[in-house]
Amino acid sequence: MTAATQAPARPVRARASRLAPPLSFLRLLRIELRRNAMPWLLPLIAALFWFDSYRPSTGQPPLYVLRTFWNMGQGHTFIDFGPFVAGVAAWMGSRDGRRRTADLVTGTARPRWTAQLATWGATAIWAIGGYLVCTGVMFAVYAHQGVQGQPPWWWVAVGATAVAAFSAAGFAVGVFWPSRFAAPLAAFGGFLALIMSSQTGFHDNTGWALILPTNSNGNFQADSGLLYPWLPDLPIARIMLLAGIAIAALGLLGLRDRGDGPWLRWLAVAVTAAGVAAAGTAVGLVTTARLSADGIVIPALHDAASDRPFSYTPVCGQAAGIPVCVNPAYRRWLPDVTAALGPVFREVAGLPGAPVRATQVAAVYNGGEAGSTGGQAATIGGRPPVLSLAIGALGLPGAFGATATLFADQLQLLAVHAFVGAGAGVGTSAQQAVQAALWQGAGVAFAAQPQVMSTTGLPTFAQAAAPATGPVYAAARRLAALPAAARQAWLATHLAALRSGQLTLAQLP
Amino acid sequence: MNIELTDLTRRFGRTYAVAGVSMEAGPGVFGLLGPNGAGKTSLLRMMATVLPPTSGRMRLLGRDPGSHGPRREIRRRLGYLPQNLGYYPGFTVAEFVEYFALLKDMPPGRVPRAVAAAVEQVGLGDKAKAKLRTLSGGMLRRAGIAQAIVNDPELLLLDEPTAGLDPEQRVAFRAILRGLGERATVVVSTHLVEDVGAACSQVALMDAGKVVFDGTPGELIARGEGSGAAGDAPLERGYSAVLAAARSVPATRSAAGTQRGPETWA
Repeated sequence: MTAATQAPARPVRARASRLAPPLSFLRLLRIELRRNAMPWLLPLIAALFWFDSYRPSTGQPPLYVLRTFWNMGQGHTFIDFGPFVAGVAAWMGSRDGRRRTADLVTGTARPRWTAQLATWGATAIWAIGGYLVCTGVMFAVYAHQGVQGQPPWWWVAVGATAVAAFSAAGFAVGVFWPSRFAAPLAAFGGFLALIMSSQTGFHDNTGWALILPTNSNGNFQADSGLLYPWLPDLPIARIMLLAGIAIAALGLLGLRDRGDGPWLRWLAVAVTAAGVAAAGTAVGLVTTARLSADGIVIPALHDAASDRPFSYTPVCGQAAGIPVCVNPAYRRWLPDVTAALGPVFREVAGLPGAPVRATQVAAVYNGGEAGSTGGQAATIGGRPPVLSLAIGALGLPGAFGATATLFADQLQLLAVHAFVGAGAGVGTSAQQAVQAALWQGAGVAFAAQPQVMSTTGLPTFAQAAAPATGPVYAAARRLAALPAAARQAWLATHLAALRSGQLTLAQLP
Repeated sequence: MNIELTDLTRRFGRTYAVAGVSMEAGPGVFGLLGPNGAGKTSLLRMMATVLPPTSGRMRLLGRDPGSHGPRREIRRRLGYLPQNLGYYPGFTVAEFVEYFALLKDMPPGRVPRAVAAAVEQVGLGDKAKAKLRTLSGGMLRRAGIAQAIVNDPELLLLDEPTAGLDPEQRVAFRAILRGLGERATVVVSTHLVEDVGAACSQVALMDAGKVVFDGTPGELIARGEGSGAAGDAPLERGYSAVLAAARSVPATRSAAGTQRGPETWA
């Protein structure tokens, strides 16, 4: 069969310039950005973000590390975004299948992968943009409220990458299962993944589980961004994992369409492999992680510059005439600290080894919620003696239910514990008795002491406290009952023996 | 020749949708007639490089669509309107046409003018900024035609292009077809024999996956004369006569269908 007629010669078809492909892609992206479904859901996500991420943090003291522990450290910002983003991305990914445009798109010169990447790109831009706007507004509000310290930018980056990963994974679900049920399936899958990540994460602060994006162990060290930088090691590993997942999911899209040519297929294979390799490498890296004084260190990713503490000019007050200095970020608690230490300093004034100055030191990271080794003991050292306190390791007033009274009681305990020379341990019975007597003299009654010692934030020695009965407290009551001058005289005579652990309970007056 | 098909088949499972079709076509409007399930849509999908043939040889615009590079070149020069036009309801008419212009690898600088011209050509100039979800079925069909012609295709494949168009639009569309046929090969698959009579210089009739007639509309009319076949118009009588004659010969191996296959080129 022949149907041929003579026709005028066609003009030579214009060839696209070298800049045309990226320009075309940008124009596709512009259309997709205009007509994407994500903006419709962003108000809902923003509302969820407000109630779930921002509001719970407002009660925390104005330090970035505390304000952002819930929303960044425990990953609530992207728990709020992830499932919705995955669902919308799946909806967009399934569009050609649902709308029966697959033939139209397939019969065009550009690889279908290009069209899919433009659709995904627009979805991801909206999602990541929404995440960054929400986070940015939250941080702007924090800044307006005078929140102290450095914002955890690395963790913001982890969240943004997580949003990208959820969008890519959801999009892939939609492409491979182009059904109206793809969106709820992807959203539920995303929610499930995040919940499992949280649950598993609470139990582990070592090994592969550290890579889980909502594992708060290892995330937020007490003085991060205040006395030393945020360690980027773990965030980098998590970014590698999440970016790897995103890249692999996008690579899989290219593998699906066999007709886009061998080089594109090989490119898709390479992209997928690169994504899997990045994710696998990230998991491998976190298995080498170790706890350091200021957070989780991954040797292959660690930069020694991150270990350098910030230099700062402390702010100082007076407690019973003794200077007490803290990091400027802790300025608002300086009156609490001086008020708490004043009675202790008065109790020990003039005694050998009594501190002539108190200063704040950086809290040592203790391993997060899993396998916590407790708080940090105070020390007295140097000539003249200086009391060093890790205030950040304590429950600051307002943080996680802590009160100003409890904060003061804890400070006093740490100070007298250091004064009797018990170090990081429980101490001898004699040291415990003297500690109890001095603490009582500073204002914490014997009966109240065991309760204070059982509170969180204190070192392990405190957790071993017994009820305020028995021979230790009997000796403590006898010492406390002495006239102040007699007690001072006895302490002046026996402090050396007490601190060396040679004094027994029976030797107390 | 812009279309060269040699013993082309397409099988879905045990069913042959296209069972050994051979044809050649140069510039002009080519009508593809046939009853439901004759294999027209499968044949068009193969020519649109959406569906690979099971066997046979196909050359389009002088290139072999079985290889990636030539296939891409064919697609740059191809316009395709599927039978069931899918669309993105949230897109405007102009965005929909622009989207496919960009996917067809048109130089970006040419796209805005080409989009405006295509939209104007199908009579949707005043609806260019209307969202597709607000359009009637006929307008949607015209938007589909606009995306098919936006790249000034050398090979235009239209599957039931006039379905849903009112008589006035259909007349206008036939004029567009004739204009396009002056410089491109236009293949129009249709049930409506009057479209063929009005716009096509050549016509093929398919039944059960095979071409049972090819020739000019005049030759098809001649087949119906004196045959006693049913039909109100001469072309209809020719159509019925050819089908009746074809069905009186026992089929050798085919039973056609137009279902979509799982395999695609891309």
